[in-house]
Amino acid sequence: MDVRSQISMLFHLDKCIGCHTCSIACKNIWTDREGTEYMWWNNVETKPGTGFPTQWEDQSKYKGGWESDGETLKIKSTGKGRIVPNIFHNPNLPSLDDYYEPWTYKYSDLFNAPEGDDQPTAIPVSKITGQPIDVKAGPNWDDDLGGSKIYAANDPNAKKLSPEQQMQMTAIERLVFFYLPRICNHCLNPTCVAACPSGALYKRGEDGIVLLNQERCRGWRACVSACPYKKTYFNWVTGKSEKCILCFPRLESGQAPACFHSCVGRIRYLGNVLYDADLLTEIAKRPDSELVEAQREMILDPHDPAVIAAARKNGIHEAVIESAQRSPVYKFVKVWKIALPPHVEFRTFPMLFYVPPLLPVMSTKVDGRLDNQTAGLFAEIDQARAPMAYLANLFSAGNEGKLRYALKKQMAVRISRRQATVGDISKETADRALAEADCTREEADEIYRLTALATEDERFVIPPFQREMAIEMVEDPQEWKQSAGFGFRTSPQAKRL
Amino acid sequence: MDRKRRSSWRATHWLAAFVLATGGAEAQAPSEETIQYFKQNCASCHTIGGGRLAGPDLKGALQRRDRDWLVRFVLDPKALIDSGDSYAQGLLKEARGVVMPSVPGLTRDRAGKLIDLVDAESKLERSQFAGALVSDRPLTPADAALGAELFRGTRRFAAGGPACISCHSNAAIGGLGGGLLGPDLTDAYSRLEGRKALSAWLSAPPSPTMAPIYRSKPLDPDEVLALVAWLQVVAERGDEARSPPMLGFTLAGIGGAALILVLFDFLWRRRFRDVRKSLVERST
Repeated sequence: MDVRSQISMLFHLDKCIGCHTCSIACKNIWTDREGTEYMWWNNVETKPGTGFPTQWEDQSKYKGGWESDGETLKIKSTGKGRIVPNIFHNPNLPSLDDYYEPWTYKYSDLFNAPEGDDQPTAIPVSKITGQPIDVKAGPNWDDDLGGSKIYAANDPNAKKLSPEQQMQMTAIERLVFFYLPRICNHCLNPTCVAACPSGALYKRGEDGIVLLNQERCRGWRACVSACPYKKTYFNWVTGKSEKCILCFPRLESGQAPACFHSCVGRIRYLGNVLYDADLLTEIAKRPDSELVEAQREMILDPHDPAVIAAARKNGIHEAVIESAQRSPVYKFVKVWKIALPPHVEFRTFPMLFYVPPLLPVMSTKVDGRLDNQTAGLFAEIDQARAPMAYLANLFSAGNEGKLRYALKKQMAVRISRRQATVGDISKETADRALAEADCTREEADEIYRLTALATEDERFVIPPFQREMAIEMVEDPQEWKQSAGFGFRTSPQAKRL
Repeated sequence: MDRKRRSSWRATHWLAAFVLATGGAEAQAPSEETIQYFKQNCASCHTIGGGRLAGPDLKGALQRRDRDWLVRFVLDPKALIDSGDSYAQGLLKEARGVVMPSVPGLTRDRAGKLIDLVDAESKLERSQFAGALVSDRPLTPADAALGAELFRGTRRFAAGGPACISCHSNAAIGGLGGGLLGPDLTDAYSRLEGRKALSAWLSAPPSPTMAPIYRSKPLDPDEVLALVAWLQVVAERGDEARSPPMLGFTLAGIGGAALILVLFDFLWRRRFRDVRKSLVERST
């Protein structure tokens, strides 16, 4: 057993209101420099939709992630033989048009326009060329300006549905959408790290955050091709790639990352989990439908004495183990099993999990009217507007069982809370719903607490980063004793008078 | 290293003994190094007692001009010709305007030794440089055919030297012709006045471009004969030397490049182009 600690994340999609505050918080801190205008380390997509960049989930086009025939595990986009012939032209890279051409407005026109009969307008100008542009796309175009016949209709997750189901998703009375906030998943088996010819990408040992060394990056962009989530971006000014750093400077000082911290709906949870790295190579070769369970298998119980002993043996600090025991992500993913990884079939094992959304809960119709009687308050999850198959394609590699389990348990929690707070549902109905959902009343209460009432400290259980110890592995702090302190970074020049 | 030094010591001893034995009466015999130098740099144009090749027969040169004049001429032929020296002008006329190339690495001291060598060889009944290093058997059509292959490079030279076509062309090459670095060789046979001079030239090409290339990879005597045979055939056909087909070459280049691009476009027709644009175009 090779126990390691990994910072992992959880987004509760039922709580996301699609306000994009997270994206703006991230943008203002990390990607408002020249060359990074088009990057959204955190972005929010409307689903069904094509996402950012357009149809990133369609790996028949972008060739991201891994592929396995059960025996071997190979990077789809490149390989030892292909990396050299393709080094100056990496195929399957999204173009700027597949992201979008970033723009701003010429606000000075509002103030400097000569007096006339019409109101002055601020025209859009490209942030790349500085020329006026006709804006044709944005990072969440479907949400911003409509066009579902183009974007929602081409959601890659809906491609495998029957034409009838696809029609239903966009039918006016069954129209359904939800938001999918995305950041780098800091995967357990990151393709970007594996594909980099310069060895610039690495997974930090102490917490598993995937980082891109700007000194070593040579801009080959193999990571951009390889990442199936398209979460590494090429900076066209520095000529190097960049990605989400999970605000590690904030984490190291005990604060949640900016996008987590600013989340209005408080949908985000963060905590470390312990996992067994020895299992990875074998598990990554399992069939698609087993991958959700396999990933859970890899995540270890931090209360298990054997795990704790193995963790200690691997040099994981006591405080980090203790932090893993309080991790909210561990509960959602492994104990309650209501959180699922996005597109686990890419085999990178994302460590960002989603609690799938219970789409319009009150949605049953009786005689063409909305049923507002108590009995029909909570519809069967199979009758939800978003087809189960669609959500399963997104969150459980097509395994509907795993998805149904998660949704059913969430529904049971709601029913039990309705019974507890409003009381118009009988205890028997609630108990039956809980039993059917493989959930006890205590568990339901706990899920309710962590979902609805959790404080910041409960949502963000940030392990101590022990930087003071980590630095000792690289250099001896004693070496700087008596040489640092108040003084000059460089020795002062003698002044000539 | 050690052994080499010892053997050279031994050689010196033998030489000293020999000089002592002969009483030192004779002028010092030309060294092996000078003989090699003459072979590599002079013998392709000059014989000693073998008649004229590209340059005059050197037999008795010291009787014709004095040593000082010869040294000056050998060191810088062009300067002496340009200075208006009447004898040098005469030589130029005999050579039909071909100026003797100045020999790289030739010093005054070495020039003196070469003249000594020429003098010594002139006194012999038959000099080792009397010519005919290459056999004078009659040339056959098979020789000419082999020569054509060697010239075109379809058959490699035994010592690995580059094929003629990489720098030279001639009227019989056809197609896009040969290289343009060296002169057209259509009339090389007649220009050098036949087989003897041409074979001598080819045995150790003296021009500044060819000399360093073929010094370490000389042509085999059979190859020389074959090339001479083919160049004779080419010269006797009497075709005009063609100017290189520049327009045709350029057009073929552009056409070839375009063809390759079309081929690549076909081979990679399913390559990644774009996602969003084609999606919007399909949907609207």
